[in-house]
Amino acid sequence: MKPISKWIHVLGITGLVLLFVGSWIGLFVAPSERFMGDVQRIMYVHVPTAWNAMLGYTFAFAFAVASLWTSRPKWDSAVTATIEVSLLLNALLLVQGSIWARATWGVWWDWDVRLTTSLIMLLLFAGVLAMRSFVQDPDRKATWTAVAAIVAYIDVPMVYFCVRWWRSLHQVQSTPETVSSSMILPLRMNAFALLFLGIWMVVYRARLETLRRRQDQVAEPARLASVGGMEDV
Amino acid sequence: MTIPRQLVTIVRKDLLLEWRGRSRILSVVLFGVVTLLLFSFAVGPDSVMLRAAGGGFLVLALLLSSILSLSESFRVEQEQRAIEGLLLLPIDPVALYYGKTISNTLFLSLLAPILSPIALVLYSFEIGPTEFLSLIGLWVLSAAGLSAPGTLYAAMTSRLQSQDVLLPLLYFPLVTPVLMGAVKSVSLILNGDPMSQLGSWAALLTGFAVIYWSLCGLLFVNVIEEGS
Amino acid sequence: MSEGVIIGGWNYVIAAYSITATGLILYAWSLVARYRRSTRDNED
Repeated sequence: MKPISKWIHVLGITGLVLLFVGSWIGLFVAPSERFMGDVQRIMYVHVPTAWNAMLGYTFAFAFAVASLWTSRPKWDSAVTATIEVSLLLNALLLVQGSIWARATWGVWWDWDVRLTTSLIMLLLFAGVLAMRSFVQDPDRKATWTAVAAIVAYIDVPMVYFCVRWWRSLHQVQSTPETVSSSMILPLRMNAFALLFLGIWMVVYRARLETLRRRQDQVAEPARLASVGGMEDV
Repeated sequence: MTIPRQLVTIVRKDLLLEWRGRSRILSVVLFGVVTLLLFSFAVGPDSVMLRAAGGGFLVLALLLSSILSLSESFRVEQEQRAIEGLLLLPIDPVALYYGKTISNTLFLSLLAPILSPIALVLYSFEIGPTEFLSLIGLWVLSAAGLSAPGTLYAAMTSRLQSQDVLLPLLYFPLVTPVLMGAVKSVSLILNGDPMSQLGSWAALLTGFAVIYWSLCGLLFVNVIEEGS
Repeated sequence: MSEGVIIGGWNYVIAAYSITATGLILYAWSLVARYRRSTRDNED
């Protein structure tokens, strides 16, 4: 198997540099927000994390469709890798959002629409990965992962819609959305930074998955599916 | 056999099996009652709080009971390896899926007329017969929304020994939209609906059911292939 | 640095950034470590 292309490493390093520069600008150069002061700077890492998590899940969905359509293992590796990296970003965004909530409203959790939806999204996709560990047969693992990922992804807008309606019946605060132009630069830099780093991580993770699958195939040649029964297949 | 006829055959077979094993329905109902009680113990005998949360408790009890019946729906086939038998017959996976989903919806719907009066008594609700019928109707709609993904995941996990952990883990986060819609609608019926929102919630639940039934039906064929 | 209405905000900002950085670094490191181990095992 050929080694990982050096361009991926270039991408990774670029992402890292961008993250440093973008965060530096966001932390020390960008102006303070009028009402929230410096706490608002959390946005420079929170919003890019959220964007990339959502982008990651979208790619996972696309890879899952490809996986079902072609049944080729490389798509399964791609699905697993993108879900795992997106889950990391998802978890991070929940922590950042919680810190934000504590800083601005004094509570660690306030049922904000997007945070609540993110939490459910985390549970949805974590479940997909959890399921993989219980299935041994690689073809079945790939098919079921793809099915579960597709269902989970389609569920997300429904969850968002419902949570929003559920909340609107009680007057609750919402996260500010307006961003002034001087703040766009660090936001964009960090967004691309996380994108590049994300791609780097996905490539590594997908490779890892492919390697694991090959090792399993070598170790258990008798992978003939036994008929039915209550075992873990 | 045409697909509709296969469908009817499957539903009829499931209903017959349920009727023969009536103790199972009874156990699920009892489980629902126990759950209603447990929720009340969590809140305490404060009737004001119980009435505010009563709709939610009823729906949660139904949701938890649904997991029990869903996990059984394919295990019945698993015993004696009947599912291979089903697949050796020329049963279309589409018919199998929708047949099973319909049976599951019917079975879940059956819980409502039994658990709702109990919840009404426990939480001191008073509603008229039309409201009671809307309650049942809304529950049937919610049951449809729950059964579609539930049947898909039950089929997937029925072969695994870890089903009792995996099925709830996959299923509960997924059906949160239906859960929220059901809780909202039931609470509106029980506590009054001054702004006539019930119609929109019912439309929402219908929308969810339609989406799930189409999507999960489409994906089911990938999940049921044997020995590939 | 100008102050906003919220005082003591920098602690939260630092917390958010450091947790994010730590999460990313730990995950990336674990990936590289597992990958190296895997390629080594594969060659054996």
